Amino acid sequence: MTPSARPQPLRSSPEPSRRVLLTTGSSDAHTWNLVHLQLFLEEHGHSVLNLGPCVPEQLLVDTARMTSPDLVVLSSVNGHGHQDGLRAARALRADRKTRTLPMVIGGLLGISPEGAATRTAELLDAGYDEVYADGTPPTALLRRLADLGGACTGRAAA
Amino acid sequence: MYRAGRGLTTSAPPPLAPGDLGAFVQESAAAGELVVQPRMGMVAPEVMAAGVAAVAALPERTVATLTIDSYTRVGDHAAATAALRAGRPLNGFPLVSHGPKTTARVAAAAGRATPVQVRHGSADPLAIFRTMAAAGLSASEGGPVSYCLPYGRTPLAESVAAWRDSVQFLTEESRAHGRRAHLESFGGCLLGQLCPPSLLVAVSLLECLFFAANGATSVSLSYAQQTHPAQDTGALTALRLLADEFLPPSVDRHIVLYTYMGVYPRTVPGARLLLRRSAELAVRGGAQRLIVKTETEAHRIPTVEENLTALRIAADAARSAPRRGTHQRARSAAEAEAEETLVEARALVTTVLGLSDDLGVALLKAFDRGLLDVPFCLHPDNRGAVRSTVAPDGRLQWTDLGALPLLTTSRRTIPMTSRQLSGMLGRVAREHDQAAAGNPPPEPMPRDAPEPSAEPLRIAFVGMGPRGLSVLERLAARCAETPPARPIEVFAVDPYEAGAGRIWRTDQSPWFLMNTPAQEVTMFSGPADDGPHRPGAGPSLGEWWAEDDPAGAEPEGYAPRAVYGRYLTHVMRRIEETLPPSLSVVRVPARVICADRGRGEGGATHRLRLDRGDVLTVDRVVLATGHPVNEPDGEQRAWTRFAREHSTPARPVRYIAGGSASEMPLAEIPAGASVGILGMGLTFYDILTELTLGRGGTFTEGCEGLLYLPSGKEPRILAGSRGGVPLLTRGANQKGPEHRYQARLFTAERMAALRAEKAPLDFEESVLPWLLAEVNLVLLATRIRQVHGPEAADEFTERGTHALADRPDPRPDPRVLERLAAGYRVDARPITGLDALARPFGSRRFGSAAEYHKVLTEWLRADLFEARQGNADGPLKAAADVLRDVRQTIRTVVDFGGLTPASHRWFLAEFGPVAAMVSTGPPQLRSEQFLALLAAGVLEPVGPGARFGADPVEGRFAVESAQVENSWVPLDVVVDARVPGTDLTADRDPLIRCLMADGEIRTFTNAVDGTEEFATGGLDCTDSPFHPVRADGSVDTSTHVLGIPSEFTRWFTQVGSGRPGLWGSFTRDADAIAAALAEAAADAGAVRTSRPEAGRALLGGVG
Repeated sequence: MTPSARPQPLRSSPEPSRRVLLTTGSSDAHTWNLVHLQLFLEEHGHSVLNLGPCVPEQLLVDTARMTSPDLVVLSSVNGHGHQDGLRAARALRADRKTRTLPMVIGGLLGISPEGAATRTAELLDAGYDEVYADGTPPTALLRRLADLGGACTGRAAA
Repeated sequence: MYRAGRGLTTSAPPPLAPGDLGAFVQESAAAGELVVQPRMGMVAPEVMAAGVAAVAALPERTVATLTIDSYTRVGDHAAATAALRAGRPLNGFPLVSHGPKTTARVAAAAGRATPVQVRHGSADPLAIFRTMAAAGLSASEGGPVSYCLPYGRTPLAESVAAWRDSVQFLTEESRAHGRRAHLESFGGCLLGQLCPPSLLVAVSLLECLFFAANGATSVSLSYAQQTHPAQDTGALTALRLLADEFLPPSVDRHIVLYTYMGVYPRTVPGARLLLRRSAELAVRGGAQRLIVKTETEAHRIPTVEENLTALRIAADAARSAPRRGTHQRARSAAEAEAEETLVEARALVTTVLGLSDDLGVALLKAFDRGLLDVPFCLHPDNRGAVRSTVAPDGRLQWTDLGALPLLTTSRRTIPMTSRQLSGMLGRVAREHDQAAAGNPPPEPMPRDAPEPSAEPLRIAFVGMGPRGLSVLERLAARCAETPPARPIEVFAVDPYEAGAGRIWRTDQSPWFLMNTPAQEVTMFSGPADDGPHRPGAGPSLGEWWAEDDPAGAEPEGYAPRAVYGRYLTHVMRRIEETLPPSLSVVRVPARVICADRGRGEGGATHRLRLDRGDVLTVDRVVLATGHPVNEPDGEQRAWTRFAREHSTPARPVRYIAGGSASEMPLAEIPAGASVGILGMGLTFYDILTELTLGRGGTFTEGCEGLLYLPSGKEPRILAGSRGGVPLLTRGANQKGPEHRYQARLFTAERMAALRAEKAPLDFEESVLPWLLAEVNLVLLATRIRQVHGPEAADEFTERGTHALADRPDPRPDPRVLERLAAGYRVDARPITGLDALARPFGSRRFGSAAEYHKVLTEWLRADLFEARQGNADGPLKAAADVLRDVRQTIRTVVDFGGLTPASHRWFLAEFGPVAAMVSTGPPQLRSEQFLALLAAGVLEPVGPGARFGADPVEGRFAVESAQVENSWVPLDVVVDARVPGTDLTADRDPLIRCLMADGEIRTFTNAVDGTEEFATGGLDCTDSPFHPVRADGSVDTSTHVLGIPSEFTRWFTQVGSGRPGLWGSFTRDADAIAAALAEAAADAGAVRTSRPEAGRALLGGVG
């Protein structure tokens, strides 16, 4: 919700500019991952709406309905990302207008590495298009954005 | 400094329940023990209870913790309960879902003596506090700001209201049950990283004041370990001092430190190292409790055993850490470090307290107006206008103050990239992982191992700006010529970039220019040859610039100071890349905070304590610390206070103290504000340029010289000085870079004889007449040359020299030259005194500012006309150049007590400034810009004898010239453009303070003739090779001092470059020290074998 420290891209991207809705789990108070991802995506020519920490599902859904982003990115590092992420996905998938929005999740999603495979499977099942393990470089998001097919949605609303 | 808990409650002391957190910490502190505490939270009551019991069972003084899970934290008890029922893992103890009975059972595992604290992170803690109180628990933490802004989206107003109710509830409920509530502010953390210490200290204190206002009688103030040990120590000191200043005396308080809260080292040794350093910091900074982190912090929620290990390590590190304040020097160093944080934090706290009598309302107003603003915080109620950074030296600093009521920052705002951000966020983790892996920053190793038996001579260069670099360059050149018997290890200690130092930083504004033409500047002691650039053979600044930046360089002009900084770092690198086998150089990016002597053989080693915590042990020290940062004097303090008291967000009033223009917060002066600049010397031009060109204005050629096209962002600039004129313009250079002037009358021989015959001298009486005669000889000869050609001029010079030099008169008669010159039918009037040049208006009065500006314009145009004629062909500028050319001869008369105390005083107060006015002026371009800005109305000089003052009626500053009618002008900002003078007694450098306190150095007091004493404030030192003189008069032959600290003992030390060609004193002085150092390494007999660390740099440990 806060304007970025750096509105202008560092370099012109050959890929089309996408609109990203950046969010985190409703119980996740961490900020730095969001600040970093926002700067990173903006430097690569994408526009970012950063919802900040502790995003309730309803706020996420309302914002997504209103802005029709090209991609929803949920980044979580407090260990609740798995549970929060499932709730966020269910909420987005339950709303007619946000049902088909591409969405991905990444970060430190459980409180320990055990059970990572199960968590990933559950999250994919709940509707995420991709689940990034902790330590995945943010460039993976650029590839995902480049692979989004078709025209950008909601460009006029930007 | 801490107080015993029982001393606080003098009026009807209620007995404190066992396990009272405040009392427990006070008792431990009285016993000299640091209390250690985990952040432990497990979902299952049995596991949690086992953890609590294990923590309490440790032999260390511990507080047990119940850390709450994230769902309970955000008030989503339904989710927490659901997870509990379904057996899903949670990241903490769901206290509300478990309920008071279970919680009481878990807490009881701590036993009676060990306090239990609930840590939660909630913006609305009422439900948690209710359960706590029902479970018999009374200690918690958080705060209306610290648990709201960084962690969620609860509106700040809701959080303030919730915290007010919750604190009142907990304190009353506890009191009713015979317990004392303890509340710890989490304000020392905020986002955990990148928040400058002053804001952490301020928020922590404000929250504790908020707790006290709502009934709390036992609080703790927190601070999270950041990126720089010395800055952290200072912050803890500031926090303690401010707590004593602002909290009611009846409120029990202590300081709690959090082990680093940012990105944590990934390796076990790295995490351990960081933990140990935090414990040492707690002890050093006077914190009484430490909340630890574990080795697995970077990877997952830690187990009980991992928490216990962390507690043991921290307690062990605390026990072996040196105590705070056992050492006078350490204490004063810590206080010096505390100063900046203290001043900033106090400004923030007093600003907030002034907004409302209700602190909760005040906090809301403060965030609403941006008077408090957390960098990088995304909360909707946070303004988000401030930015901060980790400086190259590791300190946190503001880069953009937003609306914060602070004055101290000077950096320009540079947008941060994601790469820089992650670099900064990961810096501490990286450093500790590397350091613990036994992989400290790379040290260049000697290429050929020297004979193993020879113990190296270790030398610390304290300060690696131009002076330090000049010595290193000569030392390297000498070692290449004649390899010393013992290898030499050099430690280049400078918190700024090695080579450039503080003044020549490479990141300063491109508008700041040098004052010497680039081709007259070099740092190599010999010209470049066919070989690679190396000590003894390298390019001048002009040559290097032309090669480095062919498009932009103007080698015959004046280079930006940042360009010289790049040249200096180039020289440093070339030295390092071409080291002879016998010499190694290690860069130490740190500040020396104190020094003492090693107890080794001979007792000759110096132990330098660095601000990053380690100790450097060396045999020799070269002290070249450069321009000082002094304590503000009475007037400066009064003005700073005045500005603080009268500033409002709508109309800021500011006083910007003197120093380097690149460190002044000029960017924050609003467009249109009235800015008074005190002093019209070289710093004035820097400021003027930054406020005009630096704000987008441009100069263009008009028909009558330059025209200024404003950008509209300029402030109104009013400048004032003693003489009411700027520095005289430097003559266009017509002399080659290697030109050397040959004096005829004011000769080194004559002055040496004079000094030998009747020192101490009276400068005005015995020396100045000869200097003026020399100046007039050149003045008149140049006039004659312009009319009659060089032969006539040479003839005049011969005759004049003959007429004056060969006579036995003690003083040359100026009329002799005048009469001689008159015979050539030129203007034969000599200069009767330098005052006539530097103070053209004397006591003349002006009827209006317009009249003064008109006269000033005419005067400066005439001066520019003289300057265009050149420093060889223009009579006046050629004559003025004499003052530069004979500077070294003046030094031979003046330095090391050559003048009587009274004359020395006169020389520094009168001659020095006037000589500077005449001979150190700026290039023509600057004077042309001065005229253009004056004509454009952007610059308004005030007049001669300008007086600046604070006007309590207006609530602003004001300036007035006694010699210009109606010149009074109110000012929003005063910028002090006077260069701070050397005064070791006011120097803020912790090392200088320490050496002074120990009597290892003293200031030079001129008392040569016994008539009176003139205390100069400069460092007393011997002649070449410049050893400091101790307080008892003995000489420290293992230390050398060069440059500005020794000003006054020596004259005109503020020279930052050598000249190509024959060595001047800059290079000769450097070489003399290099020779002495090489000499010390020449004796291979000085091999010491008993040192256990033979051959290694002693970096590490604490002496």
